[in-house]
Amino acid sequence: MIQTEIQEIDGKLFATLEGELDTAAALEAEKTLEPLFHAEGRDVVIECEKLEYIASSGLRILLSILKAAKASGSQVTLRNMNDDIKSVFTMTGLINLFHVE
Amino acid sequence: MNYLAELYHSLVTRSRRRLVLIAALLLLAIVGIEYVYTRYILDKQLERLAENEITFKAVLIKSMLNSHEKTVHDYEWDVLRNLHNPDSVGNTAYWMVKNHPYLVGGGMCFKPNFYPSKGRLFEPYAEKDDDEVEVHQIAGEHHDYTTKDFYRRVIESDQPYWSDPYIDSIGDRSLICTYMIPLHQNGQVIGTFGLDVSMDWLSDTLNARHMYPSSFALLLTEGGKLIVDPADDHPKYHDVQQVVKLINDSTVCRDSSRTNRTVVMKFDSEHDGEKGYIFYANMRGQPHWQMVVVCYDKEAFGPLNLMTLISLFLLLGIMVALGFIMRHFMRNARRLHDASLEQERLGSELRVASGIQQSMLPQDLDIINKRGDLDVCGMLQPAREVGGDLYEFFVRDEKLFFCIGDVSGKGVPASLVMAVTQALFRAVAAHTSLPANIMRTINQTGCRNNDRSMFVTLFVGVLDLPTGRLRYCNAGHDAPVMIVDGKPQLLEVRSNLLLGIINDFDFEAQECQLPPGSTLLLYTDGVTEAMDANHLQYGRGRLLNTLENVGQMTATQLLQHVAQSVSDFVDGAEQSDDLTMVAVHYTPRQALATLEDSITLLNDVHQTPQLNAFVDQVAGQLQLDTSVLRQIKLAVEEAVVNAMQYAYPTGVTGEIQVTALADAESLRFVIADQGKAFDPTEALRADTTLSVEERPIGGLGILLVRELMDSINYERVGGKNVLTLKKLLTHKS
Repeated sequence: MIQTEIQEIDGKLFATLEGELDTAAALEAEKTLEPLFHAEGRDVVIECEKLEYIASSGLRILLSILKAAKASGSQVTLRNMNDDIKSVFTMTGLINLFHVE
Repeated sequence: MNYLAELYHSLVTRSRRRLVLIAALLLLAIVGIEYVYTRYILDKQLERLAENEITFKAVLIKSMLNSHEKTVHDYEWDVLRNLHNPDSVGNTAYWMVKNHPYLVGGGMCFKPNFYPSKGRLFEPYAEKDDDEVEVHQIAGEHHDYTTKDFYRRVIESDQPYWSDPYIDSIGDRSLICTYMIPLHQNGQVIGTFGLDVSMDWLSDTLNARHMYPSSFALLLTEGGKLIVDPADDHPKYHDVQQVVKLINDSTVCRDSSRTNRTVVMKFDSEHDGEKGYIFYANMRGQPHWQMVVVCYDKEAFGPLNLMTLISLFLLLGIMVALGFIMRHFMRNARRLHDASLEQERLGSELRVASGIQQSMLPQDLDIINKRGDLDVCGMLQPAREVGGDLYEFFVRDEKLFFCIGDVSGKGVPASLVMAVTQALFRAVAAHTSLPANIMRTINQTGCRNNDRSMFVTLFVGVLDLPTGRLRYCNAGHDAPVMIVDGKPQLLEVRSNLLLGIINDFDFEAQECQLPPGSTLLLYTDGVTEAMDANHLQYGRGRLLNTLENVGQMTATQLLQHVAQSVSDFVDGAEQSDDLTMVAVHYTPRQALATLEDSITLLNDVHQTPQLNAFVDQVAGQLQLDTSVLRQIKLAVEEAVVNAMQYAYPTGVTGEIQVTALADAESLRFVIADQGKAFDPTEALRADTTLSVEERPIGGLGILLVRELMDSINYERVGGKNVLTLKKLLTHKS
């Protein structure tokens, strides 16, 4: 299961992902992360410290958020990904598209 | 390269010029030496000829004169016998003149007052006039012989004397000479006795038989006066006076009267500038006349000069011809040189092409053979540098893709088609696992632009390694041999049609089971149609026989065994076609299962937590570490979700069975559904290098499966899609 939280601080959207973002969870997360699709120029920062697992459906959501943000001129940052998540991003080449901290 | 060519050319040109120049100088030297030597010989010859002419004519003249001298002496005794009778002398003279045709007169000049009765001067003289001889006493006041040269010379010297020729003042004004001898009585000179002889013969003698047409001879008196000259219509008559003057001025000529040697002088005609030679000699003895022979350079050396001139022209001609020949020769040599360079270039290009072609053949043999379930080997011996045979094999997604083919024709054109076909096979088989599809795509591409009608026979096989299922499709190629339990037999194949003929031909695939431990031998007609010296073919029967009892040979040994058998058969006859073979030895190992568990899911993505829990449980049993667990979980989830989403039509509920199988080496998840046929291994690999904007949202699932697992394998079995994901347990991620 996945837990999500979104806050706006200093004109930036801060989101926290916690738990396992599998295919079933992604269906739910797509709704809860809805605000991130409308960043409207605000930068997006996604905290991944407690994200343990991500399936390709989860990657699709993040990629969609990124596409929307880029279109409105804002940046998407992924923070504190664990090595397994990071290797998934590396395999898919997505690591080069996001701003990773 | 250009510079080298120029240098070569200039060297050739330069050496050619030098060669021609040397040849010209040599020939010129030969002509020159020949000229000088011939001229020298001709000079000597000319001198000898002139000397001969002079000697010959001098002898003639002398002998004539001698006969006259003898005449005088013959009558001398008659005069002396009748001295007592003064008138008898006239009588003697009469007979002498009468009897000798050349004589125009003759008589005696007595010393003054010898016969007191005859007065102071007494000269009885017989004179010939038209054969009539009359004797007169011709001395008198108008003719005082004591003042005459001939009389005084003889009396004073007491020697016979020949006068210089002179024109007769009495007779018919012909040229005559007088010969006188002294007569003695009691030791005292009493007078002179002699004759006048016509010298008309002298001109004929002298002007007869000259060395050259323009040559002429002259006779001069001791004092250098001209006695006989050529007729005034002689072409060189104008040079006579010049020659006489030259001789009279020459000290050498004067000195030669003592040495009796022939003198040679050169002169240039004052009249026409022509160069001439004067040969001069004294006649020996009385009279001291001088003989001259003149000839001209033009005639004496004309032929030589002409010959030399012709030689020089010939030389020039030879040089020009030599130049042309050399140029032609050099051009040919250069052409030959260029041609050999070209040939060398072609040869080296062919060698390079041959190397490229060999390198196009499968090189990853070790990787395949290390798997443990396969022993594969290929062999290609081109008849020429490059050939039209091809073979290929590689493993993708637990399937061995292999092919063997033969392009119609040989050499470079065939090798190009071979390269294209092989590349196509690799490219197409990377995304299609069905042999018929592979064949169709290659055929369609090959039919396009096949203006040259290059046809290809091709056999394509796809061996599913986990199951041993062999799918194959043939395009006019020889049926491979399958060796099961040591028994070789031809694989049952449909011929279909050669590639490159009909664009949309529907190639039909076939299928069979390859039992573990069996071997497939693929070959081209280079094997079966290999001919011995008697044009007997190796043939399929011989091949099958050779494959009997091959026992436990490895693929490599098997190919060597067949190649040796073919080689023994042809026994040194020239290889006429490429010899190509591929052996596939299938040796799957059945590992002992350590775990087997399964779960059945519906085609609903909301069931993924159940799936993940199942994977967690399996991993737990195998005590996999978290990282490996996460990898396997992700891969299996992606594969299963893929089946959930695409196997069944929307709204239709279907089942998906996931089975976990583990042995000592690997963990496999077999995902089966009964939906429509769908081979995820054929999906194009997602491009991970695209930008955010270009990047499609989907397509990551199968990519992740491939990345995370060691192998995936798809089979459509009994109306089921069966996808197997394998993770090697010894593998450290």
